[in-house]
This record gives sequence, C-alpha cells and structure tokens, in this order.
Amino acid sequence: MTTRAVPSHAPSPWRDPVILLAVPAVLYLLVVYAYPLLWLLMKSFTGPSGLTIQPYISFLSDPFNWRVVGNTLRVAAWVTLFCFVIGYPAAFALARAGTVVQIVMLVSIILPLSIGAVVKAFAWQIVLRRDGVVSQLLVGLGIWDEPQRLLFTETGLVLGAANIFLPFMILPIYSVVKLIDPRLSEAGATLGATPLYSFTRVTLPLTLPGIVSGVAFVFSMSVSMFVIPSLLIGDRFQTLATLTGRSFLLMRNEQLGSTTAVILLALAVAIVVGSTWLARRLGGNT
Amino acid sequence: MGQALGPRNGAVGRVVTEAFLDIQAAEKSFGAATVLGGVDLKMAAGEFVSLLGPSGCGKTTLLRIVAGLLAADRGTVRLDGEDITAKPPHRRDVGVVFQNYALFPHLTVAENVAFGLKARKRATSDIAPTVKRFLELVHLTDFADRSVRALSGGQQQRVAVARALAVGPKLLLLDEPFSALDRKLRETMQIELRRLLRELGTTAVFVTHDQDEALTMSDRIAVMYEGAIEHLATPEEIYRRPATAFALGFVGLSSRLAGTVVSDEQGVVTVETAFGPLRAAGNFVAGASVMLAVRPERIRVNAPGDYALIARLRDAVFQGSKVQLHFETRGDDQLMVETADLADGVPAPGTEMKLGWAVSDTLIYPAP
Repeated sequence: MTTRAVPSHAPSPWRDPVILLAVPAVLYLLVVYAYPLLWLLMKSFTGPSGLTIQPYISFLSDPFNWRVVGNTLRVAAWVTLFCFVIGYPAAFALARAGTVVQIVMLVSIILPLSIGAVVKAFAWQIVLRRDGVVSQLLVGLGIWDEPQRLLFTETGLVLGAANIFLPFMILPIYSVVKLIDPRLSEAGATLGATPLYSFTRVTLPLTLPGIVSGVAFVFSMSVSMFVIPSLLIGDRFQTLATLTGRSFLLMRNEQLGSTTAVILLALAVAIVVGSTWLARRLGGNT
Repeated sequence: MGQALGPRNGAVGRVVTEAFLDIQAAEKSFGAATVLGGVDLKMAAGEFVSLLGPSGCGKTTLLRIVAGLLAADRGTVRLDGEDITAKPPHRRDVGVVFQNYALFPHLTVAENVAFGLKARKRATSDIAPTVKRFLELVHLTDFADRSVRALSGGQQQRVAVARALAVGPKLLLLDEPFSALDRKLRETMQIELRRLLRELGTTAVFVTHDQDEALTMSDRIAVMYEGAIEHLATPEEIYRRPATAFALGFVGLSSRLAGTVVSDEQGVVTVETAFGPLRAAGNFVAGASVMLAVRPERIRVNAPGDYALIARLRDAVFQGSKVQLHFETRGDDQLMVETADLADGVPAPGTEMKLGWAVSDTLIYPAP
C-alpha cells in the first residue's frame, strides 16, 4: 500500500510541459466533435425568427415523444443492468483466473469487438427467430409452452444490445478487481465476517470505481445506439437515437433532429454524471 | 498458564490437561509436492509459539490451515476443546495478522479496527470504547480518523494487530508481520507486541524465518524443515541442544568438525577429526561418520578445557562487545570462536592459538 502524494496545487502547464502532449487530441476533438455539436445545439435553438425554445416546447408537448424518451431510458437501463449482472462476476473470474485461462478469456471478450455491430445484429436475428436457438431452448426447458419470436421485441433488443456492450462492462470492472488484494476477503473472514458481509463492506466499495465506469460506458452507448435497434426491433419502436436518425435521414427535419440529439445528450450526461456522483457518495473515499 | 503444557514446566504430573490448540497429523500437498507431512503441535493457553524455518518449509501453510483459509488433506485442528477442522474461517475465532497487513484501504484506522466488531454484530455502544482501547494499546489514538493509506509501515502493522485483537480471538496467528519493517523498528515492535500479548493473555502462533525474532519473542520455537517440525522446545533448549543438524544450522552460529567414531564407551564416543581425537556424549557405533558441533561462545581461547587443540587464526572480526575468530580448517569444517576477553587485543591472522571446550558443550549428529 503506497502513500499517494497529493500535490497541493495543480502544476502550471508551463512548468509541466507533459500536458502539452494532449494538444493534438484536443485540437482533433474540437474540430470533429465540439464544433458539430455546437452547430447542433445552435440549430435546435434557432427558429425562422432568431433565438427560440419553441422546438423543445413542441417536442415535449407531444405524448409520442415522451414515449420515445421512455423507450430510450428503459432499454438503456435494462441493457446496463443485464450487462452488470452477468459482467460483474465474469470480471472477478477473469481477474482471478490463471494466466492461460485469463488470456483465453480476454481474447474471447475483446475479439468480438472487431466484428461490427451490423454483423452481430444479423447473427442475433438468427438466434432470436421463432425457430431460433433461444426459443427452442426455452420451450425445451418448459418455460415457454410454444415457440415465440424474440426478434422485433424489446426483450430481443435488450439481449442483443447487452451482448454487444458486455465487454465495456467487464473490462473496467476487471481492471479494478485485479488491483484488489485477495487477502482482504481472507482478512474479513478471520475477523468474523461472513462472505456476504465481506463482499458488501469490502469488495463492493472497492470495485465501485470500476462499476461506475462500466455503467457509464454501457449506459451512454445503449442510450445512443442506432444500428442495433434498427436491425433488431425496427421502426415501430423509436428511441431518441433512431428518431434523430430518422429526422435527419428520412424526414429531412434538421430542427427536430438537433432537438432530439441535444435532449439525448443532456439525458446521457445527466445520468452518467449523476450516477458517478451518487457512487462516490455511497462509496466514501474510494 | 500453569497447565500441563505450560511453556517452561513440561508435562509433569499425572493430570493431563487438554492442549488449548491441538494440531494432529496435519497433511497438505499441492499436486505432487508435499508441503506438510503430518505435523503435530500442541499449545497451552497463553503460550507464544514460533514456527521458524526457511521459505517453503510449510510454516505458512500450517498457519493457513489453522486459520481455516486452507483445508488440510488430512489431520485435525482442535481449539479450546472444539474440533474446528471443518469450520469456515469466520466461525473459528482465530485472528490473523497478515504479512502485508491486508488493511481495508477504503476505511480509516478506526473503521479498520471496528470492522470485526461490526461483522460480529457487537452492540454499537460497545464498539466505540473497544476501538478506542485497542488504538490506545497500539499508540494510534491520534490516527483514528486517518486513512490507512496515509500511514507508515510500522503504523499499518499496529493497525493490523489492533484490528485482529479487538474482537478478542481465542488464538492469534502472525504471518511474518515484521518482515517489511526496517531492523530498528522491527526490534521495538517485537518487544511491544510481546508485551501486549502477554498483557492480554493471548495465545499466539508466530511464523518467521528470522531466528533472532523467534528467540526474542517465543515461549517455544518449532523449527520446521521440509514440511515437518524438526525440533519443538524453548529458545534456550533449541539453542543449546538442537535436536537435528538442520536446527543447529538454522538457529545460531556453530563450529562444525566432521569425523569418524573410533570408540564408544558408556554413551561417550571418541571421534577422530582433523584436529585429533575429540569426545562427545552420544550413542554411535565405531566407524560411523559424524559431525561434531560447538557454539562459538562456548569455546575458550588459551584456557584449559576438557581437551585442547591448536589452530591457526585465519581472520578476526571485531564486533564491539565481542570478537569473532575464524580458524583455518580442512574440507567443510568450520572453526569459529566468539570471545569477549582477549587480554592482548585482537590477534593477527596466522597466530597459532590453543582452543578448548567442555565435552558437555559438544553436540554430535550423524554426518549430513
């Protein structure tokens, strides 16, 4: 356990030129990210007669749009929860596995990232069909009476999206678990703590930073996913991202598109920042 | 104390009191490697026993088996009359101070000490005073609200001790708790810990590879080698009469001369060595290859002993309160003397000196 030195004041960039190494990245992001985003923001607040908040009022007064916001948040929440529930234990297995098993696991987590979401979404179409593997399995297990189609349902969307985003939950948690001394649980046990008590009082608080990054990654990616819902559920089910896409691509309504894009961004930022803050508060000084 | 297995009073009397900690035939293998080969160890309540041995001798494995962190392949562990072999660690009442302390990094000093009390659901009104008392015992009262990450090694070690003792375990296990500390701090901490455990009457098993640490702190020492206890006795006994050549070599320095037994009369053998015939108490047949050993401070220089031999000085090491003299020998023999009284100062290398020692100080072992 090393003592971390906390500098009393941030070093000036002139005295610490290392910070200048970030200049290319900052310039790049300014041009390709900040500028278009600013353009979107401006667009959404600009009416025929100058500055206006009319697009937001008309968007929010339509109940259909509220359903779209609801769809977006609900699906993202389910995907994040699903990824967390299966990713958290997997991260422990990965961190505590022997070298060979660990390499195999890491490769099998990272390699699928090289397959695009489109390919995976088409693969899921096969799995989620009425005569697909999932349906047959559930009927075989007696959970379903007859084969059902999961494709073009919300459940199918959650399952498919979770599959694609799972690595982004596992990897940040894994990197934190790897740093936790396995002796800590042993120490807890010798002090009389049950495995559950040790887990909730020691392991969970110490893995919280990893959970926060995993949740932030997966949530912000599932809030904004566009290709996956288009392929797995179709037009009947709109999210803020698909609505934004439709507005620009099909309806040629730049105003609506910018408005939904800004709302989507605000929601995602609020939830990610809010959950980080909450986790910090709950976890104390982790 | 005062039980049949008390530290210094041996198993006298007819009443056999049950040992407080009783390990029987503990065996453990990892794959093909046998780490513990059927170890027995009995301890009295309040006793402090060190498991002393080189790395890989099985001492930490034995400790982990007692703590319940590792399951033995065979054998039983009884604590305070109860068979705890199959109990999980959190129901054993066995505290552990880990080598790297294993403090909870996200908690303060006081929260670390309170952890076990809370886990055991002690009354809230009990917890604060207990934490306060144990922080006082380890002199960390002023650090109660600090993060453990901000502490020095010695302070972390004291937190670990306070945390383990605060729940009042029946048995405390210490796994090389001083190995990360510098020498000076280590000596202070040894004395402090020993006094604390004596005050609390805690029974403790202490794992170390440092003979000085074991000699300083223990009521008894178990010298371990290759998964077995070679010698279990008081520090004095271990030092004066090590049971095996390994125990001799591991604890303290010694002069060692190889030889062959030439005669055997009533338990005293005469051994032919490079320095002529020497005698020692032991039962060996004529012709047996043996090793004779004498602790260096038991050898007298230029003084009469049971026998005297002449040796040529190779070099002398001045160590302040004493001088270490190394003499020329043949083969693997070692002849060294530690003496405090050299009337004429430190002699020059090459000087021939007369050395002598008592037969009763001579140890004899089968040749290694």
